[in-house]
Amino acid sequence: MKNKQEYQWHILLCLALFFSLLPIVFAISNSFKDLSEAYNNIFNLIPQYPTLNNYIQVFSQLPFVSIVTNTFLIAATVTIFKIITGIMAAYSFVYFDFKGKNVLYFILISTIFIPFTVTMIPNYLTVSQLGFRNHILGVILPQLSDATGIFLIRQAMRTIPYSLIEAARLEGAKHLKILWDIVLPLVKPAVVSTGIMFFINSWNEYVWPVLVLKDKVNYTLPLALQLFISSEGGTDFTVAMAVSVVTMIIPLVLYLIFQRYIIQTFTSSGVKG
Amino acid sequence: MKEIMFENVCKTYHKTNVIENINLTIQPGERLILLGASGCGKSTTLRLIGGLEDITSGNLYMNGQRMNDVASGERNVSMVFQNYALFPHMTVAENIIYGLKVQKLPQEQIKERLQSALSMLELNGLEERKPKDLSGGQRQRVALARAIVKRSDVLLLDEPLSNLDAQLRVHARKELVKIHQAYHQTFVYVTHDQVEAMTVGDRIALMDKGKLQMVDTPHNVYHRPANVFTAKFIGSPTTNIFEVQYAERSIRFGQQKIALPDHWNHHIAKKEGVDFYLGIRPEHIQLEREKVENSFFGTVKYIEDYGNRCGVYFTIGDKEAVAIHNQVDLKSGQPVWFKLNFNKMHLFDKQTTMNIGYPEV
Repeated sequence: MKNKQEYQWHILLCLALFFSLLPIVFAISNSFKDLSEAYNNIFNLIPQYPTLNNYIQVFSQLPFVSIVTNTFLIAATVTIFKIITGIMAAYSFVYFDFKGKNVLYFILISTIFIPFTVTMIPNYLTVSQLGFRNHILGVILPQLSDATGIFLIRQAMRTIPYSLIEAARLEGAKHLKILWDIVLPLVKPAVVSTGIMFFINSWNEYVWPVLVLKDKVNYTLPLALQLFISSEGGTDFTVAMAVSVVTMIIPLVLYLIFQRYIIQTFTSSGVKG
Repeated sequence: MKEIMFENVCKTYHKTNVIENINLTIQPGERLILLGASGCGKSTTLRLIGGLEDITSGNLYMNGQRMNDVASGERNVSMVFQNYALFPHMTVAENIIYGLKVQKLPQEQIKERLQSALSMLELNGLEERKPKDLSGGQRQRVALARAIVKRSDVLLLDEPLSNLDAQLRVHARKELVKIHQAYHQTFVYVTHDQVEAMTVGDRIALMDKGKLQMVDTPHNVYHRPANVFTAKFIGSPTTNIFEVQYAERSIRFGQQKIALPDHWNHHIAKKEGVDFYLGIRPEHIQLEREKVENSFFGTVKYIEDYGNRCGVYFTIGDKEAVAIHNQVDLKSGQPVWFKLNFNKMHLFDKQTTMNIGYPEV
């Protein structure tokens, strides 16, 4: 009986895997074909005449190294700051008692529901006034803290039994030490998966960078991808596939490194309901 | 060694008084038990000593120094939590020495103290285990080890044995006393278990509804209860309390009466016609199957067989009472006559419920 059930699950999982892998395999295989082969044999998984031309074109037509560096710098800085501010704020909300704590938290959390389009123009004006237009600092600046991160990390901290904190206090540990020795190791899975989420979001971000950044040398990967999709004379789609593949690699590697934390977070939150 | 002194200490949560005006001095090196039902404020009192709760009003002194605003870590106090509060990501050894590392003790000293704690609590060989890989009894011992390596003046124990099974508890009780004899720390020990309180404590502080009811040795708490609450709380089955009136050298209970011996009459000579609560423990009632002189009359309701003896529940008038009887020779529905052991009887003032004291024999 159990075997049969497992069987059914596996079929379902295989189907899901197939559909989620399809576009990735499609992108990878077509990035190694030249345009004519791609148009003739688009579903051929193994290229008949494999070529690196698309990749060479990407690297020669664009300041590609600086684009990758920009994307990485923005995503890494944004992630690190969001995590640090998130940890600090979450710790205060969980372990400090102060007047107006709940009201403040409510206000903070309600900012999650403000759509990006509402803050887009004010942020743009602020960044322009500061002289950060066409600079990656302009992309980074409005994203240094994030209510979602505070919320997720706070939820994780709330699952730590309070007596652990009290035990550490009795041992003479101060707040920073408690945070470092006790709280952080216990919320590590949540922090890592929140960080991955921030990193991937920032890595894929399009609208805000396209507003701020003007010169190609300052571009991020999603903007570079766009260049090949809508360039005049039709879509050079095998080159676009090559950019896609490069864009995927870093988040994929990060995900593979940290996947056990991500899974831990989701499974543990599942158990606790 | 530190003396701990509560001076008119109150603690209020959201306008409800959890602790009401506590005055208590804990002697250096003694084992003081905070005993009471759940919600009586005993854990809060313990947490006030540890600085885990703020004092609403009044003062807490340790060694004559006011501690109200001193941080937990600077009070030189260690604690065993009810759930043990072991750090789940640290090994047994890391858990035990965490506080010593925070205090930045020299490495050799940390090692030495770790070794002595490990052998004291029979934890050798478990150093590298994580708490989740330990049994309940082992976790409890790790929590104890963590508390004793600090060599603090005061050890706070918040129901440390409540998560252990009955057999282990008896063993752990002895271990606690052994640890106390080895380190001579002041023990403040919270429990709701009166057997634990009687066996572990030098003194018992009995609490109810945030107030201290009685602070004395286990012997006196049992044999000289300060008030009706204490008499009823300690002992199982509970002390019988009868509402009686003193008149004409006798105790009247409903329609029945028994004459008091001279020493009692002398003691309460001026209380003619006054109402009292009479307290008598089940083991101090003598049951007879035939009518005897100077006894109350009742009817057996049901019998609890404890093996070596039995508890006989009987009705007297409209009131239920219980006596410990050595033989199982009674049946429910049977009439019984019972005599009181006047040397073990307590009288409490009806208004204040306080013990009126005992006559000199």
